Amino acid sequence: MNNIALGRYLPLNSVVDKMDPRAKILIMLLLMIAIFVPAGFWGYVLIFAFIWIALKLSKLTIGFALRSMKPMMFMMVFLLVINIFAIRTGVPLVQWGWFSIYSDAISQTLYIIVRLMLMVIITTILTATTKPLDLTLGIEKLLKPFEAVGLPAHIIAMMISIALRFIPTLIEETQRIMNAQASRGVDLENGSLKEKIMAVLALIVPLFVSAFDRADQLANAMEARGYDPQRPRTRYKVLKMTAPDIWGLVAAAGVLTGCILLAVF
Amino acid sequence: MTKQYNGRDAVSVRDLTFSYDGQRDVLKGISFDIPKGSYTAVIGHNGSGKSTLAKLLIGLLPAASGSISILGTELTEDSVYDIRTSTGIVFQNPDNQFIGSTVADDIAFGLENRCIPQEQMQELIETAARQVGMTRFLDSEPTKLSGGQKQRVAIAGILAVAPDIIIFDESTSMLDPKGKKAINEEIRRLHEEKDITILSITHDMEEVAQSDYVLALKDGSIAMTGTPREIFSRQQELRQMELDVPFAWKITDELCKLGLTEHQALDLEEAAEEICR
Repeated sequence: MNNIALGRYLPLNSVVDKMDPRAKILIMLLLMIAIFVPAGFWGYVLIFAFIWIALKLSKLTIGFALRSMKPMMFMMVFLLVINIFAIRTGVPLVQWGWFSIYSDAISQTLYIIVRLMLMVIITTILTATTKPLDLTLGIEKLLKPFEAVGLPAHIIAMMISIALRFIPTLIEETQRIMNAQASRGVDLENGSLKEKIMAVLALIVPLFVSAFDRADQLANAMEARGYDPQRPRTRYKVLKMTAPDIWGLVAAAGVLTGCILLAVF
Repeated sequence: MTKQYNGRDAVSVRDLTFSYDGQRDVLKGISFDIPKGSYTAVIGHNGSGKSTLAKLLIGLLPAASGSISILGTELTEDSVYDIRTSTGIVFQNPDNQFIGSTVADDIAFGLENRCIPQEQMQELIETAARQVGMTRFLDSEPTKLSGGQKQRVAIAGILAVAPDIIIFDESTSMLDPKGKKAINEEIRRLHEEKDITILSITHDMEEVAQSDYVLALKDGSIAMTGTPREIFSRQQELRQMELDVPFAWKITDELCKLGLTEHQALDLEEAAEEICR
């Protein structure tokens, strides 16, 4: 469970690490929009150039970014197969009796794959350079204006940060229950599908029981320490926008404008 | 009509009754006073109502009948928020009360809830961490800390908001002997140096020995009250409550019966002194 690249924070202490999470989230959103602007080949070159610089600045390797794509390999192949059968326009490339592959199927799949890859790399850079708690704080601050229309931004942020805080605790717990059940003869690796499902049940049920128990105790602890979601709170961590944040935002806005211009002309 | 506050009691409980299901009373109309600045140990077998009492005192459960006063303020729905500023509680499970993602964030949690201005927080956090010897770990994540260290952070989180009373709800029962000893010393130090009223719910008889008063619960009623010495001399009754006396007391008690020592000892140091005499 420790080799998942997607969504993990790497303390590399780079320039990007020290950036304001709000700026990073906004940059990510700008680039996401840019990815969906139909700007053709040169648009993607522009976006890729930005990502390349971001990778260098955040001291991440291209290998790390590619590794984060591993869980998506299956989906990409699946997409390709579906598209080959579904899209029947363009020039037929291969003809095999009644079956043929059209050029549009390949080009459309490539477009989707490139978009997906770019999006995954961008999100990976964001999560690899930003501590989960800073990310939560950034989201909370960005959602703040929506509190006027009744969106409970600080409650959402509190839920996310508690969920993040308990991930390692629950992984540890899962490991403990797995060991406990294995010592009682539950086999999680071998056996028929039905046996495997029963084995997983023996893991899930105690995990849920203990998670609810934890939630109950945590709620008590929070309440005892004076937490009341309806009351105002001050915050210990403060966010400050600095020069790199402004430059990053300007550059991302530039990429988006570039893509829009390329699409229009 | 509210009673006049005598300025002497930190906690004052009158005819307190509580039931989870409305049928079987977990607490059966108990009354007691805890003087300001004292160290009280609450003992009793499993299911005697000890932990329920702690939750009632901090307002996590509503009393069925009876009253609780904390420093002269009666605990009601309106006063519960203020009472939680003067009263802190450390629970049993070190993991399930660690709210922040680092030690500093966790200590800050109580300060944030009390709307302490951000500029003052850093200093308060550092002072609180220093008091429990966790300054080096301010940026550490909870997974990198031992159970004892997490409990020390929990204490620091409470100290940061400068409480008058701290309740310990079996705070050492999930710790190894080393962690247990460190937390017990911490509690005693808080009591002696900071003059904080301590209410400790515990199974650990070595800890009971260092308290000023003992309150023994049995099936939701108060079975015994007194100093540790008075309680330990009623060994027969303790045994009926599935409780034991400290090791040091046991030895010196046997020696007393043989006429070799004059007094029973509360801890091993005292026992050594008694035996050498």
